[in-house]
Amino acid sequence: MAVSGFEGFEKRLELHFFGDDPLENMGLRLIDFESLEQVLHAVHCTVVSAVGNHFFDAYVLSESSLFVYPTKIIIKTCGTTQLLKSVRPLIHFAGKLNLTLCECRYTRGSFIFPKSQPFPHTNFKEEVIYIEENLPNNLVYRKATVMPSKNPSYSWHVFTAADQNHHLRRNLNSDVTFEVCMTELDRHLARKFFKKTVDCKTGDLAGKEMTELTGIDDINPDAFICDFAFDPCGYSMNGVDGDRYSTIHVTPEDGYSYASFECVGSIYDDDVDIVETLKKSVQVFKPATVSISTTSNSREVWTKVARAMEPLGLKCRTFAMDEFPAAGIVVFQTFTSTNRRK
Amino acid sequence: MAEEGQVIACHTVESWEQQLASANTSQKLVVVDFTASWCGPCRFIAPVLTDLAKKLPQVLFLKVDVDELKSVAQDWAIECMPTFIFLKEGRIIDKVVGARKDELQCKIENHLAPVQNA
Repeated sequence: MAVSGFEGFEKRLELHFFGDDPLENMGLRLIDFESLEQVLHAVHCTVVSAVGNHFFDAYVLSESSLFVYPTKIIIKTCGTTQLLKSVRPLIHFAGKLNLTLCECRYTRGSFIFPKSQPFPHTNFKEEVIYIEENLPNNLVYRKATVMPSKNPSYSWHVFTAADQNHHLRRNLNSDVTFEVCMTELDRHLARKFFKKTVDCKTGDLAGKEMTELTGIDDINPDAFICDFAFDPCGYSMNGVDGDRYSTIHVTPEDGYSYASFECVGSIYDDDVDIVETLKKSVQVFKPATVSISTTSNSREVWTKVARAMEPLGLKCRTFAMDEFPAAGIVVFQTFTSTNRRK
Repeated sequence: MAEEGQVIACHTVESWEQQLASANTSQKLVVVDFTASWCGPCRFIAPVLTDLAKKLPQVLFLKVDVDELKSVAQDWAIECMPTFIFLKEGRIIDKVVGARKDELQCKIENHLAPVQNA
């Protein structure tokens, strides 16, 4: 393990808003780009590529991704970004569109280099204090939990907050969010995410090449992929499929290699679809360790995760389940590879 | 023409067809930006397009709002935005989907270069 390096593990923030102006059915998508840039500036990242469709806007950032739906924003950033500094300005800009915050969800794994993180990300306690200071009073249901794994330096951190009307409304929601974190990537596969020095292809075009070369475009053939390759290595992509997003971020350097895959599905999706998607995403990287956090209103959907990992030689080491305001059931599972390979 | 060096917005089907027809006869490279007012990524890339239009007056840059010209957007099967469609002599020769600055610039340069094997 390297002494220091780029932090692949992301911090993820999801904010839900409500408003009752029927004309503003594009909601948060009407926040002008300059305002979004201000938010990203506070976080210390910028937009490198983007695409939108009738349902949402997807931005590839210098350090991860941003998704803007009419009433929901998801930001996921890695490195030493100060993600939580986006909370206050986002609430402010949403307020100008008559949108009120009703739910907040913050999750992350454990940092590989925790001492390199700036305030307020120095530790989970500081993060929770900071979020709470910036949340409006109407979010009365709040819960912060560290879900442990067999490995003491590998936990899943969750904080959610919801208002009176929305902490239970979520029970009607059929969304499932999968957050997959992979470390110790197969070295040979990780090499594919280094830009070939000979050709000076730009980020967009090099990204497209990596998507095709690694089979990432095969994970969901129906999705349109907005990809980007960083200098000298690193890769990000957002997948857009109707109202569903997916996103992959790769830090390929040996010693601290990391890859994440995240997507949203439905508890009514065919088992086969979820299982195949998770399998394919992990097979792109063949990691030694995988953690998967599943958030939904179902107490059973996690079984599909286990079913997807087993045939890949990944043995389940941890299982933890907990319930959170608005978010519902969060299941945290870790797996390690039984295929000893060098 | 006063409109050279600018992105020309087509607000009606008639003006759209007119622009295409004149471009076909002039053999100019045409780049059409299919955009939507509520699409953030379209706003992100707008300044890049304006800049390209200024620098490359030999290219005809057109802008089509998918809500204003719904039928055109449907005919051209636009799903993601922005979508840039490249036309020459009435034929689609390339496209860029998404606000991808480098890819857009690269492809325009490639299509402007004299015909030789890459």
